[in-house]
Amino acid sequence: MNLALVAIVLAIGGGAVLAVSTRNDAASAIGVAIALVGSALLSDPLPSAAVLGVRVVAALLVATMIRSAMRTGPRQPSPVGWPSEALLATAGAVAGLGLWVGIASLAASGGGLVGGPGSVEPGSTGAVSTGGVAVTSMALITAAGASLLALGAAPLVHGRPGPRRAIGLVLVTQAVLLLRIGVAGPAVELEEIAREALLVVAGATGAVLAIAASSSSGREDAEPAGT
Amino acid sequence: MTLLILAAVALGAGIATILLGPERRRGALTVGLIGSIVVLALALAMPDTDSLIVGGVGMVSTPVVRAMAVAWSASLAVLGLLEIAVGGRPTVVGPSLIGLAVAGLALATRDPASSMAALAAGGVAGVVVPGLAGWLDGPDIPSRLPTTNRGTLAILGSGLLGLSVIAWGASAAGPLGGAGGPVSIDSGAQLSLGLALLVIVAAVAIRTGLIPLHVWAARFMEGVSPLAIPAAFAWGSAAFVLVALDWSQVALGPAAAGDVERWLIILVAMVSVVLGGLAAMVHDDIEHVLGYSILQDAGVAVLAFASLDPSVVAAARNWLVASATVKTALAAWASVVRTTYGGHRLDDLGGWARHSPALGVAFAGILVAAIGLPNMALFRARTDLVVSAMPGFGQVVALLIAVMPAIYLGRIAIAGLAQVSPAVDAGASGRPRWTGGRAAGWSEGPLTQAIRAIPGELRANRAPLMALGVLVLAVMALLTATGGAGG
Repeated sequence: MNLALVAIVLAIGGGAVLAVSTRNDAASAIGVAIALVGSALLSDPLPSAAVLGVRVVAALLVATMIRSAMRTGPRQPSPVGWPSEALLATAGAVAGLGLWVGIASLAASGGGLVGGPGSVEPGSTGAVSTGGVAVTSMALITAAGASLLALGAAPLVHGRPGPRRAIGLVLVTQAVLLLRIGVAGPAVELEEIAREALLVVAGATGAVLAIAASSSSGREDAEPAGT
Repeated sequence: MTLLILAAVALGAGIATILLGPERRRGALTVGLIGSIVVLALALAMPDTDSLIVGGVGMVSTPVVRAMAVAWSASLAVLGLLEIAVGGRPTVVGPSLIGLAVAGLALATRDPASSMAALAAGGVAGVVVPGLAGWLDGPDIPSRLPTTNRGTLAILGSGLLGLSVIAWGASAAGPLGGAGGPVSIDSGAQLSLGLALLVIVAAVAIRTGLIPLHVWAARFMEGVSPLAIPAAFAWGSAAFVLVALDWSQVALGPAAAGDVERWLIILVAMVSVVLGGLAAMVHDDIEHVLGYSILQDAGVAVLAFASLDPSVVAAARNWLVASATVKTALAAWASVVRTTYGGHRLDDLGGWARHSPALGVAFAGILVAAIGLPNMALFRARTDLVVSAMPGFGQVVALLIAVMPAIYLGRIAIAGLAQVSPAVDAGASGRPRWTGGRAAGWSEGPLTQAIRAIPGELRANRAPLMALGVLVLAVMALLTATGGAGG
């Protein structure tokens, strides 16, 4: 099961890199969808069907809203290119793993649960053995969250108003939501609803502001469509 | 259960109002007004203590939740009426209803992560909707869109920061995680507790727009209807601070506030209290006075983090609910004055109180509620907050802080009693009048004629009716400042 989780983490990273680096609007929206749906599935064991449904619907809704914002907005590919973004995502993931190992060590030295920094998810099975350290699903979730944070922070903070900033906002929001689970354990059902509402609001807000930015007179700063 | 129904109604009505707003203003305002009245009825019917389990989390309706729901929904119903009278794009009731729904749920929920996520999600509308409306209404001021962008980032960023520190608290390395018991307070644990406290205070500072993070908030308040400010800042910030305080008290405890942390928090809070108060004193436009006074109130509330003592947290609850109600009344006054007289600078508003006595009486009530009398809950709460943070000389500081609203609101009051300026004289009279919409006396003419006269008379008396709305809010402010929030 954890090998599947590794594949999902790779898909999340790949989707996010695609989302922030491509010039193609549709590919960017697909990248967002892959990253968000992958994040929804990143759990061992999978949550109940209702919670999973809420997560997937929210992810697809956000991807749709981002896509709609791109129809009117300028194209804003990554200024550093996809290889740099991929390296950044990898570095983020490694940092996330390091964070998790650090917290796990603190927990172990303080008498906490060694299997994970927070309350270990019930039924967690078969960790991936990496020598002396067992990488649990929580570690992978933390890695995915840190990876998304590394990718989304720059477009959010330094990006010009437009779809790229909206993507950054969504990725950073999803990153914090993943880190929350990776560090503190699974969320209860009410929190799941609140989390997905937050993700949808972030996507909707980013999309609305991107559309507004594209229609404002100050858009000459942005790269025109078709370039 | 009543709280859940209230939240569902508020959320539905709020979203419907926002979606209808751009195309059908009248429909949106009607939905919003009906929704806010229903929510007020539900808030009044809500029991003081009620509990149920939703989605695996206990939800407890406390007196504070009820007090906040009643005060916010009652003021919202009046703001809804004022929004109809003031005109313009509907930007007040919809976001406020959403904010009220999530605030009620967040304060009742026993899971801080759910509360923080809900507050972040529900607070965005209070900035985005009025911010975009202000940007659309001011095409020659393009900076309003970046301001809305920054405001959105502040609301979401503070929520995400809060969520992160709450996650740390629940992790095995945090005070609530691991073996489930309290961690030993060695130097490392003390440091991490202190850092967590500073991070949650940073989230509060971002959310409330404390100095020096206030620039977006100040710009935002310039470009939106004053009626939209309470939902974005006074009430939304109050709910955020209450959730952050509750978490800090439970997860970190008073031990987290060591000497360094305490003085850092006091510094952050007092910078906003002093500079916010001074800025409110020197600014001549009433929107800035309103904005900086809200910022000053938030600074006072942040002092509760300096001790995390249970009695101080109770004082903070009273302070936040009472000051939010007072600032809602002040926002309504600012909006009505601007609509009636066209100006928003004190130079243009000479004699406003003489021209509209009802507005003058309402403002006097707001003034008393904002300063407070020694036996009022608001006054005691402010004193408790300051004294707990600065034992020894806190009483003096609390008195100095109480003097500040007396000065900046006193300036406005003095302007109101001055000679009537040409701009005010040209504005609609604040005194009620009968336009003779009905030829015969009340006892002689047909009933239909009387009914037909009502819209005309309402239009003719728009200014005094708006002043009456402000008067109602001022009375609510006085009541809340006197009784507090049951904290």
